[in-house]
Parts: sequence; structure tokens; C-alpha cells
Amino acid sequence: METNSSSGSLLNKRLQKELMSMQREPSPGVSINSHTLHGNSLSQWIIDMEGAEGTLYEGEKFQLLFKFSSKYPFDSPEVTFVGPNIPVNPHVYSNGHICLSILTEDWSPALSVQAVCLSIVSMLSSCKEKKRPPDNTLYVKTCSKNPKKTKWWYHDDSV
Amino acid sequence: MPETDDKSEDTATFECNICLDTAKNAVISMCGHLFCWPCLYQWLETRPQGQVCPVCKAGISRDKVIPLYGRGGSKTDPREKLPPRPQGHRTEPEADYAGPGGGHRYVFGDNPHFLSFGIGAFPFGFFASSFNLAGGAGNPMEHQHRDAAGPADHQMQDQLVSKLFLWLACIFLLWLLMA
Repeated sequence: METNSSSGSLLNKRLQKELMSMQREPSPGVSINSHTLHGNSLSQWIIDMEGAEGTLYEGEKFQLLFKFSSKYPFDSPEVTFVGPNIPVNPHVYSNGHICLSILTEDWSPALSVQAVCLSIVSMLSSCKEKKRPPDNTLYVKTCSKNPKKTKWWYHDDSV
Repeated sequence: MPETDDKSEDTATFECNICLDTAKNAVISMCGHLFCWPCLYQWLETRPQGQVCPVCKAGISRDKVIPLYGRGGSKTDPREKLPPRPQGHRTEPEADYAGPGGGHRYVFGDNPHFLSFGIGAFPFGFFASSFNLAGGAGNPMEHQHRDAAGPADHQMQDQLVSKLFLWLACIFLLWLLMA
């Protein structure tokens, strides 16, 4: 009981703090879509993201959906690309799922929404050829709605 | 203005890396990262295997964090709360190497090793002893009757004996498998 209530307040307090620091010191190309924050419990955020200058995604706009479970920050957030423009990238499936180790097994509670966003920006920026993952069609047909239920196989350490 | 900046920087230095608030019941890892003990405890509970520092991924465990006691900290004893913060460790000037605890653990650790070795060595021991017996029986015979025989005869005898034992070994293995 006690741990439940304390973890609940930790969740909200921490999300508030992350929100404030992102609004106070925003990283370039990453901003919170403030419409999504009104009137709900901070458990879902939408982040507006811009492709970095000088990369294949320059000038493109993307949206990321963050869903926080009650165990955040001990449990990683569920992060997917949403909206009309899903980046074409070898690590992003056409349904918006992202193959990025820090979103599952390499997650750490010292990471934050901002750190995840920066990792995704740099993942996109290091891309040399815009293409979908080789198993995209099969994966999109068979996967669960929640990317955290996928058993990801991380093979590319160059990102 | 500069004063408030200084202030926020000061407090940020002592923020827990998990809840991002000023660390309460603070502990510090060997790699130098600061956490509230309840926060770190919860993280360690989440990952019973492969416990790593959330900041730098260095190895971390309950026994390898140091509690921080500031002056005029909270008046309540942190250990009264759940989960308790680990005790500070005070190394004795001369560590007793062969302590009773250490000796006990040593014996315990070795015992299963011995056991498995004994079982594993059993067939080999059997072979070795039967081989020796045969050798003992064969050698006097050679000396008595085949002394004059050429080296070719000697080799043949050896081959025969080794073939015999190969068969014996096969039969024994089969028997082991059946049993």
C-alpha cells in the first residue's frame, strides 16, 4: 500500500520535473506538443520532432507518442512514431515501432524523455539510406500493438 | 538573478538520478552517482540479475553503496522506514583472512565439486585398475615364456590386449547406458 502510493507520487513528480526541464531548456528539434497535456494525467505525451539539419531527414516533421506505465521511471516508456509521417529508416517499422535497445532491455531510470528523444534524433541522423527494415512487412502483420512486447534482436551497434 | 542560478545548480548537484528530486536517505555508488536509497532499492528490485548503475552501467549492488550522512539531516532514523538503507562499512585495519566464515564457505563451495568429480572419475578408476591387473598378469607370463620371442610378437600381444580392453570398455559403456 505504502509503496504503491509513494511510487504513484514519484511518477507524477518526476514527469512534472521532466516536463519543466524540457520547457525550460528545450533541445533543438524536440518539443512537447502542449495540446496533448491539457486535462489528462501526464501519462501520455506527444513530442514534435524535426529532422536534424544536414541529414536525410532535414525539413521533415515527425510525432512521437510516449506512454508511461505506473512503474515509470523503473519501467521504460512505450515510444512509437505516430501521425501522418513515419520516418523511413532501417530501425523504424512502418507502424511506428522503433528498434532501439534503450526502449527495452537497456532502459535505465536515469534516462529521460529528453534523452530518449535525443537518441532517436541521432539514430535518424546517422542513417545513410532511407529504407524500411528488411522484415517490415512480416513484422507489421504479426506484431503486438505494444512494441515493448516484441522480443527485439539488437544487431546494429553503429547507431 | 545570478544568485538563483547558483542555487539551482547547487541543488541539482544533490539531486537523485532517479526521482530528480533532492536526494533523501542518500546513498552513493562506488562509481560516484547519487540516489535516494528508496529509489535505488526499487531499481535493484526491478532487476535482480545484472544490477547496474542507472547512470553509467557500472556494476552496483546493495553492499556496494555508501550511505551519506550530512550534518543536520532528517531527525528520523532512515532505517525505521522500509526498505532500510544499508549500513556503512568500516574496514578493520587488519582483516582476518582465515576467518571462520571464510573457511566455512570454502568447504561448502568445494563439496559439490568433489562429489561430481568422484562420480565422473569412477569409470576411469575402474578401467585403470582392471588395466593394471591385466598388466600384472601379462607381464610375468611374457617374462616366463615369451622372453625369447621377437619384438613383433611383443607388439601383437600388446595389440591384442588393447583390443580386448577396447571391447571391455565398449561393453562397460553399454552396461552403463542400460543401467
